[in-house]
Amino acid sequence: MATLRRLREVPRHLLVCEKSNFGHDKSRHRHLVETHYHNYRVSFLIPECGILSKELKNLVMETGPYYFVKNLPLHELITQEFINTFVKKGSCYALTHNTNIDEDNTVALLPNGKLILSLDKDTYEETGLQGRPSQYSGRKVMKFIVSIDLMDLSFNPNSKKCERVSWSFKEKKPLKFDFLLAWHHTGAEESTMMSYFSNYRIQELQPKIALSTVTELQCPVLRSGALRGEPEAACSAPELLDWLGAVFSRADLTNEPHSFVSTYCCPQPSTVVARAYLCTITGFILPEKICLLLEQLCHYFDEPKLAPWVTLSVQGFADSPVSWRENEHGFRKGGEHLYNFVIFNNQDYWLQMAVGANDDCPP
Amino acid sequence: MPDTSASCMYSLVSASGLQGVARPRGRTREDGAPRGWGRPRTQAPEGRLPGAQQAEAFVRAFLKRSMPRMSQQACEDQLQRKAVVLEYFTRRKRKEKRKRSKGLSARQRRELHLFDITAEQQRYSLFLPLHELWKQYIRDLCGGLKPDTQPQMIQAKLLKADLHGALISVTKSKCPSYVGVTGILLQETKHLFKIITKEDRLKVIPKLNCVFTVEIDGFISYIYGSKFQLRSSERSAKKFKAKGTVDL
Repeated sequence: MATLRRLREVPRHLLVCEKSNFGHDKSRHRHLVETHYHNYRVSFLIPECGILSKELKNLVMETGPYYFVKNLPLHELITQEFINTFVKKGSCYALTHNTNIDEDNTVALLPNGKLILSLDKDTYEETGLQGRPSQYSGRKVMKFIVSIDLMDLSFNPNSKKCERVSWSFKEKKPLKFDFLLAWHHTGAEESTMMSYFSNYRIQELQPKIALSTVTELQCPVLRSGALRGEPEAACSAPELLDWLGAVFSRADLTNEPHSFVSTYCCPQPSTVVARAYLCTITGFILPEKICLLLEQLCHYFDEPKLAPWVTLSVQGFADSPVSWRENEHGFRKGGEHLYNFVIFNNQDYWLQMAVGANDDCPP
Repeated sequence: MPDTSASCMYSLVSASGLQGVARPRGRTREDGAPRGWGRPRTQAPEGRLPGAQQAEAFVRAFLKRSMPRMSQQACEDQLQRKAVVLEYFTRRKRKEKRKRSKGLSARQRRELHLFDITAEQQRYSLFLPLHELWKQYIRDLCGGLKPDTQPQMIQAKLLKADLHGALISVTKSKCPSYVGVTGILLQETKHLFKIITKEDRLKVIPKLNCVFTVEIDGFISYIYGSKFQLRSSERSAKKFKAKGTVDL
């Protein structure tokens, strides 16, 4: 009975909406963008726009290469050389590819030097590293999280901790994964990842970019001060998010009676926009690039434009072990963790953050 | 001739010595004196009086007539009065308390420090010969460890073998800090392994929720500690059931 009840219940989602202004001192937009580490897809929508401006286009094209390494053993990520070359100079991000967060072992490297391992029970019992059980375990704990601070390891390379970690990764239980790597370097010289990992099969990949224009689009009317919307005057923030999802999945918004796929229609009040520009970038995208994109979109309204607002949405990897900062992330029925900016022409913005069931509340 | 009237009850005396006179009871002489007492004995004591003989014959005849079913032997047996002891004294054997050697309780054993290994004895090099001995013992037990020996046979033998002196290491454990401890086994109790590591440290590892590795000549065996919670002496008698997989 309890199992049936559990299976029938809908897993909870959380949607946090907040509004602020970019010029505000305490605006958290930068912090939130930078602490959402593993980003899979970035998409933006500009109504009343036919062609992209040059700066935007350059930014879109230059959302950096990312690297894919096959069968990289884990002990390579804790060598002093790696830490000194990549982790300390700039921000290095890494995530295992093609591992499911709820069944397999997953490893993620965060730019603050933390290596997060999400291990299943048998692997955890064999590696012998100290960790804690996952927050989303049921009666029987199946997943354990081990967190290794690489900065700490590099400060005293002969400490017992460092020796234990290297013994565990090299002799006790050598683990190998396919990694997605990205590095944002702040220094001048360029020691690239390609040359560092030349012993392993490393590929440099560019994110996939999809640009399109949509004509005669129904857009909801929004008022920057009214997050919850006003009846007959403006739409609320959750309605906007639904509408945005429908637009990007190319759903028909007309609610025709013979339409089989979707009965969704645009929230009222709405206006019809002649053209809108959609752009989607898919890949392992650095938060720094997203920051630049956000700033550029803010500057979109420096010149007077027809569009009342623009949106920028970012989705994270479903299999990442962390969502924001070091909050644990799980899959449950759809491991989504995403955020969406709505930028108004008076530099106000709305920020919506959504997480799935096995997730903490977004910061 | 004595009176043979039926109303006369004769007190019967032991048939072995029907000396003396059958005294008729309740009969007194005319002159008031009890009968039979005044009759003088004229014969010597070893011989029998003719009166006594007659009396005896009379008694026998009377018995035969009154109890015709009983044989004469049976009558005489009845007459032979045996002493009936009315009180029966048996010598009570004092229950000896069997002096059982009680043995020492765990607390007393601990106080005696019998099984402790002192600090100066905790050196790895001291126990290496023990390890060699153990290897030799296992080799003899398995009949020479050739590379093509059946692992099942070795496992079966190891289950019953004594493991003191084996090189044991912890491969898997619910507690991560036990993993990787390697050393020579010094003591095995019901729930523990006491191991001395290469750094001369005595480590006490509980058997529960641990998987140990025993290596001998290239054959590696895994021991699931949770199923091994027996004293080494009892383990030789226990039959182990085969189980598919064991989850810690």
